[in-house]
Amino acid sequence: MKKSLFLTPGILILALAGCTGQPSTSSSSDQTEQLSWDEIQQEAAGETVRMYMWGGDEGINQYMDEWVKPRLKEEYDVNFERIPLNTNEIIQKLETEKRAGQQEGTIDLIWMNGENFKRAKESSLLHGPFTEQIPNFQTYYDTESLDFTYDFGTETEGFEAPWGKVQFVFHYDSSKMDVPPSSLEELQEWIGENPGKFTYPAAGDFTGDAFIRHVLYGKTSSLEQLLEEPYSLDLVEEGAQEVWGYLNEIEPDLWRGGETYPSSLTELDRLYSQGEIWMTMGYNEARAEVLVEDGVFPETTESFILEEPGSIGNAHFLSIPFNSPNKEAAMAAINFMLSPEAQSVKLSQEYWGENTPIDFTTLNAEEKNRFDEIERGETVLDQQTLDDAFLPEIDAAYVPWLQEQWIDEVASE
Amino acid sequence: MKWHLNKQTTLLLVPAFLFLLLVLYSLVMSFVESVKGPDGWTLSYYQSLFEEERLYASFGYSLWITLISTALSIVIGWALVRSFHTFIENSLGKWILWIPMLFPHFVWGYFVLLLLGQSGVLSSVLFNLGWLESRSEFPVLVQDREGAGIIITYLWKEIPFVVLMLLPVYTQLPKQYGEVIQVLGGTKKEYFKTIEWPWVQPVIVEVFLIVTAFIFTAYEVPALLGVQFPQMTAVLAYDWFYGISWDERSFAFALLFMISVVMSLFALLSFLMLNRRRWLISKSQHQR
Amino acid sequence: MKKTIFYILSSLLFLLPALMLAVKSFTPVWKWGEPLSFEWTLRGWEVFLMDPRIYEALFVSILIALAVTFLNLMVGFLTGKALSHSVFKGKGLLETFLLLPLFIPTMAAALGLHITMIRLGLANQWLGVVIVHLVPTIPYTIKVMKAGYDRVGSGMIQQAKVLGGSPFHVFRSVELPLLMPSVRSAVFLTVTISMSQYVLTAVIGGGNVITLPIIYYPFLQSVNDTVMAAFSIAFAMLPVIAVAAVELLSKILTYKGTFVNRGVT
Repeated sequence: MKKSLFLTPGILILALAGCTGQPSTSSSSDQTEQLSWDEIQQEAAGETVRMYMWGGDEGINQYMDEWVKPRLKEEYDVNFERIPLNTNEIIQKLETEKRAGQQEGTIDLIWMNGENFKRAKESSLLHGPFTEQIPNFQTYYDTESLDFTYDFGTETEGFEAPWGKVQFVFHYDSSKMDVPPSSLEELQEWIGENPGKFTYPAAGDFTGDAFIRHVLYGKTSSLEQLLEEPYSLDLVEEGAQEVWGYLNEIEPDLWRGGETYPSSLTELDRLYSQGEIWMTMGYNEARAEVLVEDGVFPETTESFILEEPGSIGNAHFLSIPFNSPNKEAAMAAINFMLSPEAQSVKLSQEYWGENTPIDFTTLNAEEKNRFDEIERGETVLDQQTLDDAFLPEIDAAYVPWLQEQWIDEVASE
Repeated sequence: MKWHLNKQTTLLLVPAFLFLLLVLYSLVMSFVESVKGPDGWTLSYYQSLFEEERLYASFGYSLWITLISTALSIVIGWALVRSFHTFIENSLGKWILWIPMLFPHFVWGYFVLLLLGQSGVLSSVLFNLGWLESRSEFPVLVQDREGAGIIITYLWKEIPFVVLMLLPVYTQLPKQYGEVIQVLGGTKKEYFKTIEWPWVQPVIVEVFLIVTAFIFTAYEVPALLGVQFPQMTAVLAYDWFYGISWDERSFAFALLFMISVVMSLFALLSFLMLNRRRWLISKSQHQR
Repeated sequence: MKKTIFYILSSLLFLLPALMLAVKSFTPVWKWGEPLSFEWTLRGWEVFLMDPRIYEALFVSILIALAVTFLNLMVGFLTGKALSHSVFKGKGLLETFLLLPLFIPTMAAALGLHITMIRLGLANQWLGVVIVHLVPTIPYTIKVMKAGYDRVGSGMIQQAKVLGGSPFHVFRSVELPLLMPSVRSAVFLTVTISMSQYVLTAVIGGGNVITLPIIYYPFLQSVNDTVMAAFSIAFAMLPVIAVAAVELLSKILTYKGTFVNRGVT
């Protein structure tokens, strides 16, 4: 008994002593870039791809586990494993691995966009460029589109492939009000008339940040420059003052008098589902559908957008980490997930209901039909309304700046 | 009395030393990360850390929550043990006390949110009974600036812990001592001063230190039940740690490392003082 | 009287919450202001049980907890004995140092440990997770076991040795039965602490090691209380299972008819 006790720590010490040696060569990063699609498929067969992704949505999880997983096995002979982990924790893990020189990691596929992508790319945590090797991306997507060549102002340069497209919408309980506000001013009026019935998630939350950006879009006089010119604090500072002014003006009439803010979208949803507040919001125009069906949101839930300033939309992407042990399998999985079939099922309400970044002009009649037939549900606004209000994202570098400022100017006041 | 480690004792202690080696090595690695800037070694993160106003607000807030939670847990837990210890041990009651220990802190935090939120179960029940006109009459117990929700959660979880730590001390308290005092005509107060307090004091101090350190450095409960401002230091460190910018990440390392050092030194000093006393007590016992 | 007060108080504060979570896991989402609905539903448990990785997670969680407990007890028995029954210079200091890991924020340790485990080649493996779970547990175990040996004293053990028992024999027939109360406390603490580690498991296990907290934690962001309650109850059941397993093991390991059972305490 005592012998076996010393065994484990004994190994520990030996290993600690001899820990300096690191595998010096990267797995196959250079070779992967030379491979043709046929060769990639051959390499991928029989391998396992491990996708790390946020796991807090049942619908999304089921889409991956019940739909994607078996079909990926069938079509490419690639095994699929989904690992739930928050994106920032994934980035953190990769960063430590990079620093410790671990060339053989465990992650093959990440789902992300915006500031996470910016950080991952700047810290060289990603494999690529690889999108040129993905046939479905080349065939079905407008590869020149600004939506895909830039991600929150960061050039993607082939390091990520678009997987989905979402737009920011608000939800309201139509049993509590007839006409939802259509501009920031009307929203302010409504909040004044209905004290305690509105709030937004704190900065730092994905949705809260997006709400603050909407206010910025509406209040700044230099929106076009903000969208087009590179990151510069001079451009945003003046508009930001207006933003804090607006947010502080509505604060006394917010939920709990603005004393605190929900720290996440989930908390906001909880307040809405309990009827404590009458509006919620989110970065996916179709997300209310499932929540209504599950009885979490009231059945009278409907969506609206602010026509003024509009509705920010963005794409989210798939990437491969620098130390993925199965890059070829990851590429096969990406190719599959970008296919019209996978995209149309993703759009249907059965699992997820999320919009597709696919270019419809590239589809044949049968493929296009499949998309057209999908009923997105009553809580989803029609595509024309969404398209008309569409606004692109600003540079990702503004996001942390706005977060910091919000804490100083709004939360701690 | 042997003063040097003999062979057998050394052998017994090998795993403990290995364990310490693991912890120490990891701490050094964390420290290295906190002084590694983009261009070589730097202490600048420690410097600019002290210029962050958010940090000061959060320190004060954390200390307040930590001390009040710890103090109340110990006082209440201690009182419970004193009044009930005669029959808790070896009974069903002990198992009931274990129940909250079964649930991780974040699960219990979620439960408090479910029960005591303004839209929570309790508020809803009171409304249905007609005791509340609207939910805004229900006191704000979670996500409040004073940290009531956080304190409630910690009390709920820590009181059983205190009870379970103190229980063996009381069941082992020799009954003869009490009888001696009684025979000699001593009062309850004297009994407490001369027998009970010296007997339990080391454990109380130890529990105090453990609970303080835990509450000060844990982030799950305050992240779930706290407000946006002020934040507990651990939440701030977490936000920085998983934040977007490189500087913040290094801030987090610096902050976490500093907390580790301060906490450890504090604990070390307290224990050393305690051990000295303990040693004196045990010496006097040997002389008997 | 005292007893009644205690039972009422403890049931209200500790038993009732657990019952409420159990009931919640079978009832639909409760809306504020509406009467609590008791239309029983299996929806929460369905989501829980349908997660394809849940069985793996349950198994891995218990496996890790048991391995951690095993190592803990090993270290605890040896170190506790040394600290209690021998006298040497620096003992107090060593005892204090062994408690210090409790005073380090998990996040501070997590990063350093991650680098350490990468160097050791144990990152992303369950063994690595087992080793890092030792950090928040071993200090407690050593403390508990030392207190146990203090209580038992060295007399009985010495006597058994004098009578010619081999170390293992003495361990089984004297030390283990006498120390069983301490072992129980140590096991319980170790298992519950190990089961509640999210950050350490996520960082060191790197997603390769799926334990229950890894699956539960993302659901903290779910608004569906029914699902959450089901997960919460599952959490509380795991330590019970693990403790039962250890109890069983100790029964097998202990001699029937020891000194202790004959009433020599």
